[in-house]
Amino acid sequence: MIIENIILAFGEVLTIKTVLLMTLGVAGGLVAGAIPGFTIAMAVVLTLPFTFSMPPSQGLATMVSVLVGGLSGGLMAGILTGIPGTPSSVATTFDGFPMARKGKPGLALGLGVWSSFSGGMISAILLVTLAPQLARVGLEFQPWDYFMLVMFALTITASLSGKNLVKGLIAGALGLLVRTVGEDEAVGMARFDFGSEMLLQGFDFIAVLIGLFAFSQLLNDVRDPAQARKSLSEKGAIQARIEHRAAIKEIAKRWTIVLRSAFIGTFTGILPGAGGSVANILAYDQAKKASKHPEKFGTGIPDGVIAPETSNNAVEGGALITMMALGIPGDVTTAVMLGALLIHDVVPSPTFIAEEPVLAYSIFIAFFIANFIMLFLQSGMLRVFILVTRIRMYFLAAIILGFCGMGVFALNNVDSDLWTLLWFGILGFLMRHFGFPLAPMILGVVLGNIAELNLARAVAIDDSFMPFFTRPWSLFFLIVAVFSAAFPWFQNARGKKMWTLFYLPVACFAVALPLAMMALQHGSVPRGVIAVIVVASGAYILWQRWQSGWNLQAHAGPDLKEG
Amino acid sequence: MNRMNRDAWLAVALLLFTGFMLWASFDIREPDYGVLAPSVWPRIILVIFGFLSALYLMQSLRADPESAPEGEEELPASLMGYLVYWRNPIICFGLFAAYLALLPVLGMLLDGMAFVFVLLCALGGWSLRDIAIHAAVAVIAVGGMWSVFTYGLRVLMPTGMLIPGL
Repeated sequence: MIIENIILAFGEVLTIKTVLLMTLGVAGGLVAGAIPGFTIAMAVVLTLPFTFSMPPSQGLATMVSVLVGGLSGGLMAGILTGIPGTPSSVATTFDGFPMARKGKPGLALGLGVWSSFSGGMISAILLVTLAPQLARVGLEFQPWDYFMLVMFALTITASLSGKNLVKGLIAGALGLLVRTVGEDEAVGMARFDFGSEMLLQGFDFIAVLIGLFAFSQLLNDVRDPAQARKSLSEKGAIQARIEHRAAIKEIAKRWTIVLRSAFIGTFTGILPGAGGSVANILAYDQAKKASKHPEKFGTGIPDGVIAPETSNNAVEGGALITMMALGIPGDVTTAVMLGALLIHDVVPSPTFIAEEPVLAYSIFIAFFIANFIMLFLQSGMLRVFILVTRIRMYFLAAIILGFCGMGVFALNNVDSDLWTLLWFGILGFLMRHFGFPLAPMILGVVLGNIAELNLARAVAIDDSFMPFFTRPWSLFFLIVAVFSAAFPWFQNARGKKMWTLFYLPVACFAVALPLAMMALQHGSVPRGVIAVIVVASGAYILWQRWQSGWNLQAHAGPDLKEG
Repeated sequence: MNRMNRDAWLAVALLLFTGFMLWASFDIREPDYGVLAPSVWPRIILVIFGFLSALYLMQSLRADPESAPEGEEELPASLMGYLVYWRNPIICFGLFAAYLALLPVLGMLLDGMAFVFVLLCALGGWSLRDIAIHAAVAVIAVGGMWSVFTYGLRVLMPTGMLIPGL
């Protein structure tokens, strides 16, 4: 059955038109990733209108390609100019740029390209193997659990995406509120329409996403008139030839870094809210800690390029695992992908892989193939991508704003979507200005309906709210939501306050409780074992801290905030 | 206006918005069928939203006015300063609103070209050389995108009254 689905999925993806579109998508992603200020999420959002008229597998393959290209595009600008094209390639510049300045730009690029490829492939393998397993776990979810999962996704995104948790939570709540405007899905009653036909229809959430993310980002980029007229990057050499053989040799020698970083990337991606900008710093930090020569990091050593580039490409595989297995987007880009699925009348949920196996496997296959296309394009068209960074920002902004208008109109062929784009563009711009993160709001907009429908189902089954606290999965998500909400305080106080030494052990003990409940209720031995391991981990951390004499400085770690 | 005042005012505005929306939620009709009334979910969100806004207000009132977050730009003090500071975004929003207003008259193709051309000139300059480059870019970029949507993706783009069919 699986083999049959894989063959059918190959048939869907390996058509000339789809491969051509994927090549264009990877090229577009590489260009977008190479441009500082132009985020991958923006590239994926702007690709969405092109995919409406395509069959779902073709449209999603194109979007996956943009994503893969975008993840790798940042490294070229970062290594050659020292300006990371995307936040997920910030750590690449720490060693990539010094290496290029030492006269080895070809090796630095080769390391980046092949590390990206390795990270993408490892996470693709994990995606194919883990997503169906996680989806099986997801089948146990009842409406209470699903509702709590959405709340957890919003809380962790709010806590990781900005400096101020309250602002992040306000943004998430605003996203949920925006989704309530118009007819409610359950009984079709008008809400917050104020007599307006446009409001009665509700806001098209793709127009909202494009307005919030792309429109507001562009206006932010051209805010300073002098900067808007400058080229995006004017320094750095563009004459470089990728040294493939030398790079492969260096990477093969450091396979442990590749594996560790790919796992860091994939599991960071699985976590809702944490993306490439967290993963690349985390992988760099871990590579430095594990190195025999940590003092050489930052001077242009291969380890410092391999670790971040492997991890940032592995992130999307992880984010796709969560989206495809549970229907919860791991980050903004997968939120847009989820939107693309909804447009094609495919509702991602734990049953998605079982009900739409060909589409699911075609996404897996597209992810694999896009990595090969990325490798080929990056090797052959490096100069073109770097030349793109010479474009002046205002050209890019004006053209993309014009494109936004056409793309949004193409959604439903109604003018009101264009006004939605404008209003949410203004709102997104103001939110950025006042320091409100946009990621929680976007997740709120995407997940608002899912949360409400599951709450309605939960209340319809049992009008008591107790199952939210007594069902193991619901309790599990509630506990991780509480600890993720406290994470910013932990992050700020780590190394300064005594209570931070107990945060991780207490989190482990608390999470073990619902796991133990699951083991007892279902008679599941693996979950019982996991619960014991989690408790043992908490006890070990506690013991370590006691051994170090409750030394605060010994347990200060890296900053884990989305850039 | 210092940072504390700005955040506090914003928090107050959010609280007023919460109150207004809560009041509006009482206009939502309650059907006799269905278990979860359509007004319940928005009210849950609004109560949380209001609580968070109150927390934000308290946070901003307690914050040290001198401790503005690192990396945040110093904002102008006068209204004129604000207008100069926000010149480009205001131009973009204004031109986009004009673009939407003129859409039924000019149609997507001409309106799009006009919008991109004027925006390029407003942001990049009005010298003769700039005008020529901006016009070429607007025609090629918008014309190309319009062709992709119209002929490639078979999307019916809005036509204008000025030149029927375009």
